[in-house]
Amino acid sequence: MKFYYFHLMPYIIEHDEPSSWVTLSNRHYDPVVGHTLYNQYLDQFEHAEKLGWDGLCVNEHHQNCYGTMPSPNVMAAMLVRRTARAKIAILGNGLPLRENPLRIAEEIAMLDVASGGRIISGFVRGISAEYFSTGVNPTHSRERFYEAAELILRAWTEEGPFPFDGRFYRFHYVNPWPRPLQKPHPPVWCPSQGSSETVEWAAQRRFPYLMVFTPIKRIAQIYGEYREACERNGYRASRYQLTVNVPVVVAESDAKARELAEKHVMWVFNTGLRMHPPFWRPPGYMTEASLRRLLANPPVLPSDLTFEQADRDGYLIYGSPATVRDKLRVFADELQAGILCTAMNGGTHERTLELMQLFAEEVMPHFREDAGVDETAGVGR
Amino acid sequence: MPASRELSIRGTPIHLMQDGAGPALLFLHGAGGAARWLPFQERLAESFNVYFPSHPGHGGSPAAEWIEHISDLAFHYLDLLDELRLDRIHLVGASFGGWIAAEMATMVSHRLASLVLIDPVGIRVDGWIYPFLFGMDIPEIVATIFHNPMAALALAPPDQSIDTLALQYRQGAALARVGWNPYLYNPLLRRRLGRIASPTLLCWGAHDRLAPLAPCGETWAKAIPGARLQVFDESGHVPHLEEADVVANAVAEFCRREGAAR
Repeated sequence: MKFYYFHLMPYIIEHDEPSSWVTLSNRHYDPVVGHTLYNQYLDQFEHAEKLGWDGLCVNEHHQNCYGTMPSPNVMAAMLVRRTARAKIAILGNGLPLRENPLRIAEEIAMLDVASGGRIISGFVRGISAEYFSTGVNPTHSRERFYEAAELILRAWTEEGPFPFDGRFYRFHYVNPWPRPLQKPHPPVWCPSQGSSETVEWAAQRRFPYLMVFTPIKRIAQIYGEYREACERNGYRASRYQLTVNVPVVVAESDAKARELAEKHVMWVFNTGLRMHPPFWRPPGYMTEASLRRLLANPPVLPSDLTFEQADRDGYLIYGSPATVRDKLRVFADELQAGILCTAMNGGTHERTLELMQLFAEEVMPHFREDAGVDETAGVGR
Repeated sequence: MPASRELSIRGTPIHLMQDGAGPALLFLHGAGGAARWLPFQERLAESFNVYFPSHPGHGGSPAAEWIEHISDLAFHYLDLLDELRLDRIHLVGASFGGWIAAEMATMVSHRLASLVLIDPVGIRVDGWIYPFLFGMDIPEIVATIFHNPMAALALAPPDQSIDTLALQYRQGAALARVGWNPYLYNPLLRRRLGRIASPTLLCWGAHDRLAPLAPCGETWAKAIPGARLQVFDESGHVPHLEEADVVANAVAEFCRREGAAR
């Protein structure tokens, strides 16, 4: 199994506002605190590479305390020059949110060339709330996503210049310099929440599928759908097409780990993902079929999730190294997931570094049957 | 009881309600108002042949993927007039429906015996930004739209079934397709309002918090040549729901008088 260190770069505060997204006033953001946090978080990434993590994951979110990386490519650029071996996975750029997706083609190519081909390029639509922050019409989200993805892939792989005439994006000269180093292009991943349209789209293109913060039963179900879609498209999914993103807390004992998880992981769900209800459901963001599926089996709002539910439904993994190894076996053996993205938070920077070290020394080595395998070979393109 | 029927307008299926006798009057509903035949329509039907279609994606009319812009809806209703062989009509639009009606009036005001706009949105008003209803929950929306919150009951959904919630989502999406950004206006419309030559009545709720009388109502009154502005003291954004009889009487009287004068 491959291990990727995932960071949201949260700005952790307690507040009484109805929403941590879109409307939480940025007066709560103290740039002096932010300076310390950014640097600690970047140190954690660099530390992760030293400890043996295979990849480092950054991501795009806007106007919230949940994750302070509105431009993931900026963070990726800092990591490129401070790391040498780890893949840098951008999970991802919100394609429909950009007025000019060629900027994504250019920025990813820059990073890929500068890093010597270590970039993984996630394509996402951006979560519901981003449409309130950016003003992009959510009823265009899906079409813009497909169109931007096509434009970026063509810009990476076709010799320029060529014209592009889409519904949303139009150019007379598509001819980005530089071109990406990886051939035919950096691997593309699809982090998603399991809409059947995206599953099919990703499977058709061999783009690895990534579930973020999802209960384990649902991951199993969506993985099944993804594998079926791959079969329908005439091939068997590689385990490196199936990635899970789950917070892990490993500590000296189960009790200690539980204490940390209850406090720090639950902040992500209960406060970080607290959202004014309309921000969860911008009009037309979902297809009516997806909406009906959701309404028939409505998920618990993250802000209402209790630790007991999160534990029972497998939203997180915590425990002593031995316990965490057992729980991870489920992902590795039963779900056949090839890549685990983990965020870690021990409450303080120093404690987080300790958890990371414990995980790297006591857990990772037990899952290294595939040590010599390049997880990006043949997938994502 | 109004008659209800499905028909196809140049390939776009819609649901249409109709009742009354007299000159033809086309009513264009606002968001959430599809297929709500209420005392306002009832009263108008005493003097007019009232046509009340649901916009594509609203009420019983399925969503139409080809509708991308407010002018698509205006052309859709010009097609409806042709389909129904209505050469000349009284056109009444409320809120979002007022926006569509205004777009139509800039195109074919010679076909309008009269134009009535009830708290329309649709133009950029200096000094005003429409509150963003898409970001509001139901209590916030009610507080923004209604002066008398009890009037909101007329638009309350019948239940919370999946079908009802899916219909509301579809209606929101149909509105967002043409009104998310720019939000509830067409940047080109305000200047074009100067082309409207039909007699025009602007009905405005004194307590409209979505598009307040000052500056919105006043801007419309200046932009449409000869438009008359009538204010309803006990209403917010939807006077035809909040003071149904008074507004219906004012609309009927205006249409009768202007219809007769031509």
